[in-house]
Amino acid sequence: MAVSADPASPVQVRLFASLREATGWSEQLVELAATAKGANPAGPTPEQLWRQLGLQPATPPAGVRVAINQQFAAWDASLVAGDELAFLPPISGG
Amino acid sequence: MLAIQLEAESFEPLQALAEWHQWLAAELGLRPAAESHFLGRVRPSGAHDALLTALELEHYPGMTETCIASLAAAAAGRHGATAVLVRHRIGLVLPGDAIVLVAVAADRRGPAQRCCQELLEALKHEAPFWKREWSQGVGRWITGNTPL
Repeated sequence: MAVSADPASPVQVRLFASLREATGWSEQLVELAATAKGANPAGPTPEQLWRQLGLQPATPPAGVRVAINQQFAAWDASLVAGDELAFLPPISGG
Repeated sequence: MLAIQLEAESFEPLQALAEWHQWLAAELGLRPAAESHFLGRVRPSGAHDALLTALELEHYPGMTETCIASLAAAAAGRHGATAVLVRHRIGLVLPGDAIVLVAVAADRRGPAQRCCQELLEALKHEAPFWKREWSQGVGRWITGNTPL
């Protein structure tokens, strides 16, 4: 799904809970699209990956958060090869 | 001093506290003078008043444990608490069963109570858990937390 031809920059993308069930997959290796990398010289962002993967809605909902390598991160953070990117639906612990 | 544990099966809160007390006594000699505890259990009904069969708790393995430890350490540091215990369920939890136990030991009641409340709220909003209510064979993801 939404995989480019650049094998040098795979990112492990993980989805949880309602996002996982809405898309039908929980994790996959995604090669970063050239267009996404070109849009940000420092590296593509989680927001660009969200769109590259065709996740819905096209603009990430306000309650969805991002984690890179299991740390909360910003939607405009730069991704590098080997990162683990997770999209986290609204949290409800405790 | 942090004691963080995710529980895949039901646990007995009083037994968990007793084990924590033994550990504190072994580590500190004397237990701190003040403790504050919070115990959360599954309600019998869900967000739309339907009777619950179970509440399912999904988590992000690795990140959830690290996040709880980080939140507990930060809260303990801010309030000068001596020790924190967190036991949190994952998987299917039945109505009436314990979901979360937070205990804070400190030298005085104020830091213990404030730290306990702050940490519980942090767990609800910052630790990657997701709840799904199961009722009559249908699961429904919860998108927020109950009011304080």
